[in-house]
Amino acid sequence: MDKLLRNKKAIVIFMAPALILFTFILFIPILQSVYYSFCDYNALTPAKFVGLKNYKGLIQDKTLHIALKNSIFFLIYSCVTQLIMGLFLAALLTNIDKGRNLFKNIIYLPCVLSSAALGLLWMFIFSPKLGINQLIQKFGIEGPLWLMDTKGFIILPMWVIAFVALWQYVGQSMMLYMAQISGISKSLYEASYIDGCNKVKSFRYITLPLIRPMVATAMSLNAIGSLKFFDMIFNMTEGGPNHKTEVLATHLYQQGFKYFKYGYASAIGVLLLVLCLAVTLFINKVVKTEPYEM
Amino acid sequence: MKKVSIWKIIIYIFLVVMAVVYLAPLLWTFNVAFKTNKEIFTAPFALPQNPTFENFTFAWTAGKLGIATLNSFLVCVITLVLSMIIGSMAAFGIARLRWRGAHLALVYFLTGMMIPVHCVLIPLFTRFAKVGLSNSLTGLILPYLTFALPITIFIMVGFFEGMPNELIESACIDGASIYQIFFKVCLPLGKTGLFVTGLMTFVGNWNELLLAMVFISDDMKKTLPVSLSKFVGPYNTNYSQMFAAIIIAIIPTIIVYCAFSNQIVDGLTAGAVKG
Repeated sequence: MDKLLRNKKAIVIFMAPALILFTFILFIPILQSVYYSFCDYNALTPAKFVGLKNYKGLIQDKTLHIALKNSIFFLIYSCVTQLIMGLFLAALLTNIDKGRNLFKNIIYLPCVLSSAALGLLWMFIFSPKLGINQLIQKFGIEGPLWLMDTKGFIILPMWVIAFVALWQYVGQSMMLYMAQISGISKSLYEASYIDGCNKVKSFRYITLPLIRPMVATAMSLNAIGSLKFFDMIFNMTEGGPNHKTEVLATHLYQQGFKYFKYGYASAIGVLLLVLCLAVTLFINKVVKTEPYEM
Repeated sequence: MKKVSIWKIIIYIFLVVMAVVYLAPLLWTFNVAFKTNKEIFTAPFALPQNPTFENFTFAWTAGKLGIATLNSFLVCVITLVLSMIIGSMAAFGIARLRWRGAHLALVYFLTGMMIPVHCVLIPLFTRFAKVGLSNSLTGLILPYLTFALPITIFIMVGFFEGMPNELIESACIDGASIYQIFFKVCLPLGKTGLFVTGLMTFVGNWNELLLAMVFISDDMKKTLPVSLSKFVGPYNTNYSQMFAAIIIAIIPTIIVYCAFSNQIVDGLTAGAVKG
């Protein structure tokens, strides 16, 4: 038995395909990407080391500032709203019996659909002459240009996109919280009712503390998802009007595959990677707690 | 008793409103897709006067969504099968075989979960262009497969570690080789795990846009999200055809989801909990 499990040849055969793929398609490209970010590199000329030039460029790039601002807005917005809405929906759904599965499945539906297609769909809904504006026109109100307005610090299109992203992905947070809530023992609630708690109080003092580990998980999923967010913005506004709704991912795509500035786009990629790692670490440090014994 | 039922009614009203918010956009698109382009503006919310399938056939053929659906299906199925085999092999190697680097290998794979695909886009693109993998479905399957591996390995390691030792011992006494133990004993027992990871892989790749858009420029090789995004663009003016295209793109998922919604929701949630 031991000999069987220590068989060198078997170990190589089992591990090699995954290790080779992983190393060549993911690990080496990451290192290359970091190297390219220090290079002057585009479609015509080979990579040439130029030190920190790309990163200096990042600091001066006005569009990058907008992209970074939008990405961070998006990050905070999705963490906060997904937490609130997800918990709220989970609390409601765990309190009813009839139709729980139906509502759960309806709210989860957009999570499995392509966000590229849903982005296009909502683009039409918020377009100047269709959808929402047609609807409110019936009440005699002239709708705003949902996806083209450029006033304010966080412009209207960003709020619209953030809303649509919440609409699409809140089902996932809801399901995560529901899974955790249904794992809480009923006897805890019964004891609290005997002690005179009402539903709201028992939610505050029993449910909330007990689902805290899941909050960390759901939040880091949301955070990374919102930093990587690309499909929907690309299809709803393509970063426009005038680069005002650019986020890091769309800016990277523009620089890399519209203008073919590979070196500069790599620098944006490295920035994105660092942000992802930092946010995950932060959430795990601040929010995560040891799971309670139940 | 009375008070409780009032709360229940409020909850149900709220949930119905939520359901409308979720279903109305989809139903509206569905409705509009059957209209003529003129009708969208004259009678936006009425049912179509004489429903037409022309929009769908046009999007399917001229929009090349038919071939794109086929491409997407090919890419996703191949990736699914390969990621299950390669991923669970590696997971078995980490969880069950006895060698020194096992834990290190697991950590190595798990770092992959935190890496966004955008970071490897440029090196992969330039490399694939050199070795002739750009503009081919193989060039798309390779990164999809690699990015599916970390989560597959992570979940399957959990499954294999949870299996009782006696199972493997008894198979060993019966004279099974290590490969037989893996394919005939452990893999069938890890079916639940395979279902969860397979679902995550398939759904993720079916909807993936960025990699597919960068790597594939040939219209005949594009996957569904890419062809859709190209067909439904600022240069197209026929709205009802675009709506029909959106419907074509999402209807396969909706049908599968309606049939297996409980399993899909639970499977994806289980995957996310563990990830």
